[in-house]
Amino acid sequence: MAAPGLRAQMDSLLLQLLRDLEELEAKRAALNARVEEGWFSLSKARYAMGAKSVGPLQYASRMEPQVCVYTSEAQDGLQKVWVVRASAQTPEEVGPCEAALRRRKGLSRTPEPESSPAPRDPLNWFGILVPHSLRHAQASFREGLQLAADMASLQIRIDWGRSQLGGLQEKLKQLEPQSA
Amino acid sequence: MLEGAEFYFNVDHGYLEGLVRGCKASLLTQQDYINLVQCETLEDVKIHLQTTDYGNFLANETNPLTVSKIDMEMRKKLCREFEYFRNHSLEPLSTFFTYMTCSYMIDNVILLMNGALQKKSVKEILAKCHPLGRFTEMEAVNIAETPSDLFNAVLVETPLAPFFQDCMSENTLDELNIELLRNKLYKSYLEAFYKFCKNHGDVTAEIMCPILEFEADRRAFIITLNSFGTELSKDDRETLYPTCGKLYPEGLRLLAQAEDFDQMRRVAEHYGVYKPLFEAVGDGSGGKTLEDVFYEHEVQMNVLAFNRQFHYGVFYAYTKLKEQEMRNIVWIAECISQRHRTKINSYIPIL
Repeated sequence: MAAPGLRAQMDSLLLQLLRDLEELEAKRAALNARVEEGWFSLSKARYAMGAKSVGPLQYASRMEPQVCVYTSEAQDGLQKVWVVRASAQTPEEVGPCEAALRRRKGLSRTPEPESSPAPRDPLNWFGILVPHSLRHAQASFREGLQLAADMASLQIRIDWGRSQLGGLQEKLKQLEPQSA
Repeated sequence: MLEGAEFYFNVDHGYLEGLVRGCKASLLTQQDYINLVQCETLEDVKIHLQTTDYGNFLANETNPLTVSKIDMEMRKKLCREFEYFRNHSLEPLSTFFTYMTCSYMIDNVILLMNGALQKKSVKEILAKCHPLGRFTEMEAVNIAETPSDLFNAVLVETPLAPFFQDCMSENTLDELNIELLRNKLYKSYLEAFYKFCKNHGDVTAEIMCPILEFEADRRAFIITLNSFGTELSKDDRETLYPTCGKLYPEGLRLLAQAEDFDQMRRVAEHYGVYKPLFEAVGDGSGGKTLEDVFYEHEVQMNVLAFNRQFHYGVFYAYTKLKEQEMRNIVWIAECISQRHRTKINSYIPIL
């Protein structure tokens, strides 16, 4: 009958779900650790630089995002989430223009093509000479970003897995009374 | 100047020296720090601070209590004490106090300029400026586009005017140039302060000159350390080093060529004072950072300043010790509010 096949399917789905949950928990713990580390490094930077030098005074209230979130559909219909740095986009546009500039180098200094201005490193909001604790903080927060995107994808997979499992359970219930 | 400050110092400055020694006696003790470290919340910290000389300074603060409010109130208290000293001082102590406030003025000017760059309102930043560095022309700082604008329009009447010698250029003020401006202003200020103390002679020079030499060398080391991996060129870096320290001239030249921490350490090993400091720096994230080691050494020198009488160094030392105490309290408060207690004991006790 279809029931044993269904049961096997349910088992493998359950195992996959539990594996995903475990991974999600691990990533969540890692994200919490990174964010805590980041904030602590910011406190250390405040100790070294002075309490007013690392705070909301140093950045504008409106800012350009440096990292964007993208989603795409994978083959099994699930959405995948990832983060992309804004600067990673520009090389494709600048490439052909650069070659053109090189050829004309001997003549006049042509102005650069009006591409989007290179995104400023947020580290420079706090000055050029920043202590290493601030750099550590930036690195921790960056890692945290990647983890957050992975967690979002995992969460989508887990939700899908749960709905699949629910569907299979329904089918099994319908088959069981018939075979009894 | 005639040597023998013990004959005439007390005529003009005796009252204030007595007062500052009394203030120094009320700095937090090791027992106070132990009590603070055991607090669970910022409210507990507030209660513990009520038993110290701080008293009810947080009484008017609305809930919730934040670390930045604690910092602001402590700073206001220090400012009140400092203003009292300053208002009762006579020359040349008044000039000494003016020199002390210049460093805070420089910080405020840079804060205002950065704020202008970020398009923040002047009022928002003025509220956060250091009270010790207040001067009347502060609100006009944000209109300047270039350093010479800044000088001619705004700062020419302030005590910062003489420090602008090397900083006049037509570059627009962006981040790199603001940082360079800050460091060049500070360099001129430190060298002028050093010269003032040296010319004053007597016990003041004996106490203040080593302290200011250490400050100059410390700035050179920290600028070098923080410039690794940035766009600051080695020549630019060399122009930022103050020249009134022990490192001048050979050490500074070697330091300008350093490219990593080990090369910096090798430069420091030529100097008997700095070799043990660099040896105390821990590796990686476990041990002390270079800044911690420098703060500790600064505290030691400031505490020793109180062993001599009849000099102005006690006022400088008291202010710096009070600032270290504020840094300690803010550090403990941040560790408590972030519930990250592993490094809560990294404060520097003032013995």
